[in-house]
Amino acid sequence: MRLIILILSFFAITTIQSQTAYEKGMSKAFELWGNQKRDEAINLFERIAKAEKENWLPYYYAAQIHIVTSFSSKDAEEIETRLKKAQDYLNEAKIFSKDNAELLIMEAMLNTAYVVYDGAKYGMTHSGKVEELYQKAKILEPENPRAILYHAEWQMGAAKFWGKDPKAFCSEIEKAILYFEKEPSKTPFYPDWGKNQIARIQENCK
Amino acid sequence: MRSTLTIIILFICSYITAQTTITGKVTDPKGNPIQSANIYLEGTYDGGSSNEDGSFSFSTEETGEQTLVISFLSFETYNLTTNISKMTALKITLREDVNSLGSVILNAGTFSAGDNSKASVLNPLDIVTTAGAAGDYIGAFQTLPGTSTVAEDGRLFVRGGDANETNVYIDGLRVFQPFNATANNIPTRGRFSPFLFKGTNFSTGGYSAEYGDALSGVLLLNTIDEPDQEKTDLSFISVGLGIGNTQKWKKNSLSVNAFYLNLKPYQEIISQRVDWIKPFESLSGEAVYRYKFNKGLLKIYGGLNYTDLQLIQEDINVPEGINFGLKNRNLYFNTSYKGSLGNDWKIATGISFANDHNDVKIVNTDVDNDDNSFHVKIKLRKRFSNRFKLNFGAEQFINDFSEKASDPDFDTFRTSYNNNSTAAFAEANVFFNKSLAMQIGVRGVHNTLLDYTKISPRASLAYKTSPKSQISLAYGDFYQAPQQDVLKYQTTLDPEKSSHYILNYLYQHNGKTLRAEAYYKSYNNLVKFDTERPEFNSIYNSSGDGYASGLDIFWRDNKSFRNFEYWTSYSYLKTERDYRNFPTKATPNFAAEHNVSLVTKYWVEDWKSLISGTYNFATGRPYNDPNTTIFQNRKTKAYNSLNFSWAYLISQQKILYFSVSNVLGTDNIFNYQYSNTPDVNGNFARRPIRQPADRFFIVGFFWTISDNKTDNQLDNL
Repeated sequence: MRLIILILSFFAITTIQSQTAYEKGMSKAFELWGNQKRDEAINLFERIAKAEKENWLPYYYAAQIHIVTSFSSKDAEEIETRLKKAQDYLNEAKIFSKDNAELLIMEAMLNTAYVVYDGAKYGMTHSGKVEELYQKAKILEPENPRAILYHAEWQMGAAKFWGKDPKAFCSEIEKAILYFEKEPSKTPFYPDWGKNQIARIQENCK
Repeated sequence: MRSTLTIIILFICSYITAQTTITGKVTDPKGNPIQSANIYLEGTYDGGSSNEDGSFSFSTEETGEQTLVISFLSFETYNLTTNISKMTALKITLREDVNSLGSVILNAGTFSAGDNSKASVLNPLDIVTTAGAAGDYIGAFQTLPGTSTVAEDGRLFVRGGDANETNVYIDGLRVFQPFNATANNIPTRGRFSPFLFKGTNFSTGGYSAEYGDALSGVLLLNTIDEPDQEKTDLSFISVGLGIGNTQKWKKNSLSVNAFYLNLKPYQEIISQRVDWIKPFESLSGEAVYRYKFNKGLLKIYGGLNYTDLQLIQEDINVPEGINFGLKNRNLYFNTSYKGSLGNDWKIATGISFANDHNDVKIVNTDVDNDDNSFHVKIKLRKRFSNRFKLNFGAEQFINDFSEKASDPDFDTFRTSYNNNSTAAFAEANVFFNKSLAMQIGVRGVHNTLLDYTKISPRASLAYKTSPKSQISLAYGDFYQAPQQDVLKYQTTLDPEKSSHYILNYLYQHNGKTLRAEAYYKSYNNLVKFDTERPEFNSIYNSSGDGYASGLDIFWRDNKSFRNFEYWTSYSYLKTERDYRNFPTKATPNFAAEHNVSLVTKYWVEDWKSLISGTYNFATGRPYNDPNTTIFQNRKTKAYNSLNFSWAYLISQQKILYFSVSNVLGTDNIFNYQYSNTPDVNGNFARRPIRQPADRFFIVGFFWTISDNKTDNQLDNL
């Protein structure tokens, strides 16, 4: 009897182990990212994406790290290479998850990165895309706090540029705060970032 | 017993978790270590990243034959399939990805704009915000080196070639009448609205085997694949009205626009040198429909344009002037499909059709002509690897022209011809490495009207001399059938031929671009005739020849000054040809020796204004003075033009635009017309050919209406 239990538990352990390989990998990747080992984190997300197949999340995070890193880079070649790679990852992700608001938001961030990097070259062509992507995301998920928060930030930037009052969008931030509170916890590792940016964006409302 | 079982189980466990360590080192082709490369076993979670010295190490429980994948940004992904046990102390050299940003580009002869490619020298806004261009997409190209300023014509004159030597393509298909119909010495404009296009390639020589029937250059325009959003554009301009609308649904999108232009009110305010009876009036409409398939994109373009004008043309031999009236109707269709066929095969195919009808009245003579042109093309592309790609395809041109000239004093005179040709082309792109690339191609064409078959080779080579600079070479042979004005009277002629030899140097660093190109171009078999203009009883032959050589320099700086961009270009051109009715080899009137352009754009943030200034200068143009003995030996005074435009963004979607060309009102002279007969003193009298008006003003208001309130028409101005 003990033997049977031993054998059963052995199998149970191996199956649990194989189930958690994904979770372990994802946790490890987030840990690397947290420790500023961004390229290693990207590599691990990419490995998970390739091994998992049909899962958009690792691609999504690999793209996000490239985009975030490009914001802090000054090297044109690095920026363009990273943004191009980020677009590749998002394109892969979109194959497995159509009409996904989170992917649209990330693509909006990607296009924002192009505008920030070279406004003269990409401003005209990419600004319209950013706006459209946020709008599409909001249609799919009207209560997505990231869509609301980052769209508001984008609109505030445009308002400031046009000499208008960015405070017009402050109520949107309040909405975002509310939706962050209400945000349901979905599948593990589902995007839930952005809350810590509220204070920074709210600076515009003072 | 129990202990035996435990041992067995433990053994199984340790067997299952038996680990192999995979180790190795990743370097680039020069032996430098690559850090942060991604190394993993395909289909597993097992892998790692390389560290500072390029080495990596990770353990795996996998056994047997596996595939190890090594990937890194801007390098080609490397796959190694072998037994796990052999994956130790690996030495892996990654090959550079030749598609990455730092690679050599095959750019001899070519300027690209707006497609965000590495070779881009102009961005999308530039094409349309250049002062003096007045929303004509051709205007911006006239500020690039290799073009001659021929302000009384408005078309592109490339490297000593006349305007007919440059062909225009939309989405790979020929545009047969890219310019509005006009009268002599009244400058024309491009027929198409600039906001249809997303990217442009302008080649001033040595272009791909895909394009033929042009001796000097090709202008390749690509329409937008997917409009950003639904919107309505309204334009109110001092000389006309425009409306445009874009709709998107599911995988479809449709853009339509209409424009009405009438120069009458304008010409009543600004004094004109031309005696207009019926000022220029035109009505045009365009529509583009796009459908996205899973693996391809279909585009259908249709445009219709009516032009009507009448004027008295000054003429030294006709004191009362010549009454010239023109009604033109142009219909153009273009349908293209591009897509992927899988297995690294791509297809691009399409048809274009144009019907051009002119109703011309010259004094008492009525000339009616109809020109139907048709182009069908298919191109396949196979990507064998990043380093080797093959393009090949075939195309058919059909051109059916007929004309009827009637005059009360003569019989009605009819002419017609069918000019059909079939062509095939193949071209290979080879990247030896990130620094050395080659394109080699060949084109064959058979023309049934003139009954010729010609094979023309094309080749270009590029070598990266440093991370910021490269040199390239290009060679090509080009054939072109004679033009309509000759073909309607004579069809036993050879095709005209040119050969291009190009040496290009390109430097790109930190928002600055320097491009210098030296070229030599030979001309053979140019059409000659023995009358002033081609006529039905002229004697024709193909014995003309000539050459053009020169140096083109382009400099652009986007970064040195905040909110200020400029580019400048200089072209040196030496050309002589014996063609048309030239008695000997001479420099034609359109070819000035030195051309200079300076384009500046300044964004004034506080005023929300884009202020642009353009200065064009060209040395005097050759003309023939029958009072002297040497043919084409005199030169006009130099050409100067300073243009200015101001776009003020009232709000995000409302723009006020003001533009004036030739601010200083310089009285430019392009040529002289001499009397056919000498006066009593034996002198031939002359008349200067000047600008129709010294200045041209445009005041406009542009309003975009969309849900998404960020878009505006600045990119259309």
